[in-house]
Amino acid sequence: MFPFEIERIFLDEKAERDSVSETILKALSHVPVERVQDKRTLIKQFFSMPDPIGIGKKHLFVTHFYGRRLKPCPGTSNHICCGYYVINAITNCPMDCSYCVLQGYLNNPFLTLYTNWDDLLQEIDAFLSNDRQSFLRLGTGELSDSLALESIFPFSQFLIPFFAERHNGILELKTKSANVDPLLGFKHRGKTVVSWSLNPPRMIEQEEKRTAPLMKRIEAARKCQEKDYPLGFHFDPLICHEGWEKEYEETVIQLFKQIDPQRVVWVSLGGFRYPPKLKAIAEERFPQTEVFLGELFPGRDAKFRYLKEIRVEMYRKMAGWLKEADPDLFIYLCMESKEVWEKVFGWAPENSLHLNQLFEKRLKEFAK
Amino acid sequence: MKTIQRIPLQQIDLLDDTFSVNYLPDLQKLRSSIQEIGLIQPVLLRKKLDAYQIVCGFRRVSAMKVLGKSEIEARVFEEKEMDEFQLFSLSLHENLATRGFNAVEKAVALDKLIHRYQIHPTAVIKTFLPSFSLEPNEKILKTYLSLAQMEDEIKTYVLKEEVSRSNIRRLSALTSDDRLAVLSLISPLKLGENRLRELLTLLEEISRRNQSSAKEMIRQPEIQAILSQKELTPSQKAERVKKVLLILRYPKMHQMEKEFEKKRKGLNLPSNVSLHHSPFFEGRELKIEFQFETIEEYQSALNGLSILAEKKEFREMVNPLTLPLSPGGRGEG
Repeated sequence: MFPFEIERIFLDEKAERDSVSETILKALSHVPVERVQDKRTLIKQFFSMPDPIGIGKKHLFVTHFYGRRLKPCPGTSNHICCGYYVINAITNCPMDCSYCVLQGYLNNPFLTLYTNWDDLLQEIDAFLSNDRQSFLRLGTGELSDSLALESIFPFSQFLIPFFAERHNGILELKTKSANVDPLLGFKHRGKTVVSWSLNPPRMIEQEEKRTAPLMKRIEAARKCQEKDYPLGFHFDPLICHEGWEKEYEETVIQLFKQIDPQRVVWVSLGGFRYPPKLKAIAEERFPQTEVFLGELFPGRDAKFRYLKEIRVEMYRKMAGWLKEADPDLFIYLCMESKEVWEKVFGWAPENSLHLNQLFEKRLKEFAK
Repeated sequence: MKTIQRIPLQQIDLLDDTFSVNYLPDLQKLRSSIQEIGLIQPVLLRKKLDAYQIVCGFRRVSAMKVLGKSEIEARVFEEKEMDEFQLFSLSLHENLATRGFNAVEKAVALDKLIHRYQIHPTAVIKTFLPSFSLEPNEKILKTYLSLAQMEDEIKTYVLKEEVSRSNIRRLSALTSDDRLAVLSLISPLKLGENRLRELLTLLEEISRRNQSSAKEMIRQPEIQAILSQKELTPSQKAERVKKVLLILRYPKMHQMEKEFEKKRKGLNLPSNVSLHHSPFFEGRELKIEFQFETIEEYQSALNGLSILAEKKEFREMVNPLTLPLSPGGRGEG
């Protein structure tokens, strides 16, 4: 059962004969289908509607992707980034987080699923084969939620066995859902990290519409832990709000009541940040959102971030609570400067490459 | 075409605003024109039991009354000849063809279409918004409907200051009490569009952060003191009010600015030397600037700078103390 509302499927005629399309149409057999020849006109028509982003989430566009599907995470200038690769399998997300950067980022409002699946697997295969020395991390959770569309099309059924056979690649399935049952039967050989983005319950309820509650996410993580999946957790975005300390500390406590920190391959921390145009879009869509009420200022990359002092305080406290569960937990900061790393941890990676090497080391240790 | 009749002005009910969307009409020009060449276009009236209702021509009837005329040329509809919505449409179209509407009149017209004549919002968006030269979308309709519900003082301000739709939306998010309090703040400041947006955004965000009302904020003695300073220009007042609001909105940043300023003062820099932190304290870097006109001034600045590195306060500013993380140590894991 697909837990989100889809009002209509737009089927690109080029994708009509793909087996993936058949699977999708079968899974959503109750939803009307409209064949599309001219997607530009359709996109233009939707963008002229009052809430194209909200409406787009209820319209599934099934099409082909032309171009590279695998790209380095764009990161941000003047900051240390982790050398992650983004797999473009789905764009947009049926969940609706007030702070989601995709609201101002995508040039197509629809929840879009690309059916030329074989091309994607070939591209990933070629990419991993070309760089056998490195240990690469790839994920589907940057342009969508990795597991949200699982009941429409079982991506994991293809990706998890595919990565299980690769020696130098790790797949990360990043989610805010609790939809892990389809994953539990696969032989993953430790090559798929299932990870959750976490926030305190009040923030989830207020800022992360249509996502699973915290305890359901933790419960889903526990199920994956039982099946020996390496786990990841992302406290990103950390939202500075009244009572944040108590709420985040309690979230960490709840997490490690069910999760063995030894099974956690990485934890990331990232303060809420946003490109300038997001605020107007998000406030229009979520008049009650609190995410923009913090002390946020533009940085050198033009993105707004909390005042450095505030970020450092949040990271230090979070790192402290996390390390209480396990002093050896691998914690990293997402898109932060060397100075902030130093202030939080007392050390910093030399550069993005160094951080990438630390990930490799961590993954090799974890695999032992 | 109906024949033109001469109707006594005293039989016309000026208080019946069934078909009126007038708001602050400028009658001066119309009066002068009527005085000079008389009434060109007859008004449209509807006959009721004991008086006439104005369908089109409220401004003309008012002007004629002020000019002391006793009669006006009119075309008259019988009471049941057309229904009210048809007459209202007629009135709108006649006005659109002649004078157009100001923002509040558009708001009143849209409000009447939806609430009085029960026209479906989709039809209003599709048919009437373009007639008023507005983009046909729900957001615009909502903005004007909210304006229609606002207090007369606010409506007058919106017209006088030509307040934009985005700022009307900001005003509509306030309670009536808060809106009137905000008006008492913004009215004397004579704000342009951008400054008004800044102030309204600050007020909204502070009241949400601090869970206090805009009214409470505006009543603060600091803001009231600024407003009552007669020697300040509106622009100076606006700048000072903004400063107070920025401190309330960004308390941590303000505290850091204050601490930096305290340390900077402690350095006793020569008067022609200034020291700046990075924008929003994001970077570590400090910037020193100095100005001079003479060799002596140049030398004095250099002398002042040369001893800076020896000062404890300066060293602390360059290398602020970082406490080690506890517990757990290195974040690397």
